[in-house]
Amino acid sequence: MKYMLIHAVDEARLKDLPPQAESELAAWVEEMVGRGIELDGARLHSTAHATTVRTVDGSVHVTDGPFAETKEQIAGYDVIDCPDLDTAIAVASAHPTVHIGAIEVRAFEDGMPRPEVPDTVTAGKRRYLMLVCADMRRAMADAAAVTDASPDLWDPPEPESADDPNGIDAWVDRVSDRRVYGWPLAFPDTAVTVRRVDGRVVTTDGPFAETKEQVAGYDLLECRDLDEALDAAGTHPVAAGGAIEIRPVAD
Amino acid sequence: MRSDDAVARTFREEWGRLVAGMIGWCGDWDLAEECAAEAFAQALPAWERSGVPDSPLAWLTTVARNRARDRMRRRTTEGAKLALAAADDIVTGSIVADVSETDDDIPDERLRLIFTCCHPALPMPARVALTLRTLGGLTPAEIGRAFLVTEPTMEKRLVRARAKIKHAGIPYRVPPPEIWSERVEGVLGVLYLMFNEGYAASSGDSLLRVDVSAEAIRLTRALVGLVPGEPEVRGLLALMLLTDARRPARVRGGSVVPLAEQDRSLWDIDRVTEGARLLEGSPPWGPYAVQARIALCHDVAARPEDTDWAAIAELYTHLPVTPVIELNRAVAVSMARGPQDALPLVEALAEPLADYYLYAATLADLYARLGRTAEAAAALATAVEQAPTGPERRLLRERRERLLNGS
Repeated sequence: MKYMLIHAVDEARLKDLPPQAESELAAWVEEMVGRGIELDGARLHSTAHATTVRTVDGSVHVTDGPFAETKEQIAGYDVIDCPDLDTAIAVASAHPTVHIGAIEVRAFEDGMPRPEVPDTVTAGKRRYLMLVCADMRRAMADAAAVTDASPDLWDPPEPESADDPNGIDAWVDRVSDRRVYGWPLAFPDTAVTVRRVDGRVVTTDGPFAETKEQVAGYDLLECRDLDEALDAAGTHPVAAGGAIEIRPVAD
Repeated sequence: MRSDDAVARTFREEWGRLVAGMIGWCGDWDLAEECAAEAFAQALPAWERSGVPDSPLAWLTTVARNRARDRMRRRTTEGAKLALAAADDIVTGSIVADVSETDDDIPDERLRLIFTCCHPALPMPARVALTLRTLGGLTPAEIGRAFLVTEPTMEKRLVRARAKIKHAGIPYRVPPPEIWSERVEGVLGVLYLMFNEGYAASSGDSLLRVDVSAEAIRLTRALVGLVPGEPEVRGLLALMLLTDARRPARVRGGSVVPLAEQDRSLWDIDRVTEGARLLEGSPPWGPYAVQARIALCHDVAARPEDTDWAAIAELYTHLPVTPVIELNRAVAVSMARGPQDALPLVEALAEPLADYYLYAATLADLYARLGRTAEAAAALATAVEQAPTGPERRLLRERRERLLNGS
């Protein structure tokens, strides 16, 4: 199964990372790549360099900063492939982020192809991580309604067609010149979060922060500049009703 | 002309263009600004010695580029060497860095600079600060004073903004047609905010604040020159000029003087004339041009009673409907047709404007004119509590006392 490790730290505490953290990180990456677990991962620039896009009635609103003002903010991510959640928790618990913050472990939706991400960025381009965020309680309620409702009480919408001009497939086509890969995540109620408490790594259920909007998926982009990334975000179907946070990937 | 005067004048006129050109040349905001500042520092003794050059901007550009080259060479990283090579490519490819070139040979890149400074991914205070610094040449201390923050705080704000431009990859360019109008709107929003901040401060309790609204006018005027075909840019400049024309009469003895009580002989007729000229042309008008026309209706009335309130009320209907616009329209209606026609319009705004002091003040005015003194006094008490600055509070308090004394 494929999982996303969402690293969440209080940015003010980054300076508290112990000196051995860098070598621990290198060892973790080496081990996980060697075991065939780590498929992709990157550090992100701080939320000071984040930009969030929402569309309201068809017009694009660009604001500075992350999609939610939480104490802990997403600082990096890994995409891992391992047999089960317990392995994923063990892999996360061994990561040096737990010195100063939390790692949310969230499964991807089924069917995710193996991400192929070149080691080096295309010349003249920069990488951006697009965090696709949505009100997941509403999404979960909608999904539950589809399963529970009796047909005469609830009229289910037409399933999304592949050639819907406003659908995700049309969007993927439109941004194929700059999208490296991306995939939706399972609902946040499937998430677990690991963090260190009193010297021990403990696991709790749920996402790292209880915000109204939650990360629902992500896309890795390669763009010439921020405007190209904003253009991609502004046309994403979730930008209407949700939020797309753009974070530059740190070198 | 004395050379220090020449340097000061050139600084006012050419700083933005020098920095814009330097950023376009080397792509590094910090380096561009540092070297531009050093070029001006060098200009003082050099111009003293050998006179003011015929092309001051070309002179400054050459000196700033040489400084930048020196610094880039001293950096040892590969990245810096690449940047240097790229920058020199640009130079040999287009313009030759030689003192013999004239100012006209140097491309004006201020338009790229202003769009980048006002990029929507930057926090609004950073957009304002960055524009004042890089285009206007104000120091962090001056900008800090204007916005009531310390110099280190302002310096930090600028450093963060430049870091975001670099790390988030905000492009240094004039936006393409598909996003042109929204980005122009964004730039005008920053300039108008800058103007209003300065305008409000000029009547506030602090006299130390530098004249940010004059700077906003200067930058908007430059923008009119850069994009002469944009009617809203002219509209905004007109609005600023027609508002600023009343500034000499706006404050007396630390208090804000209401429009109707201002000494109109103090109004700046040159600004009114220039503003009116910018508005020549027919509808459709954008929001700035409409607001400018409203300001013009006031500016051309020799006495308050000569104001064409019916025209003003009509102009308000061309603006996007917001509670504050509706409130202003109601005031115009009250002047054109009487308070009884305006009262229902104002009362309908009670909920959205519950915390806005000018809502309570307007309501008080209508009640007073309808002889409902007790209600007027109560509304004025609310307005006094909600007023944001000392002079405005004083004005409202005086009005309440006059009302209660029956004068």
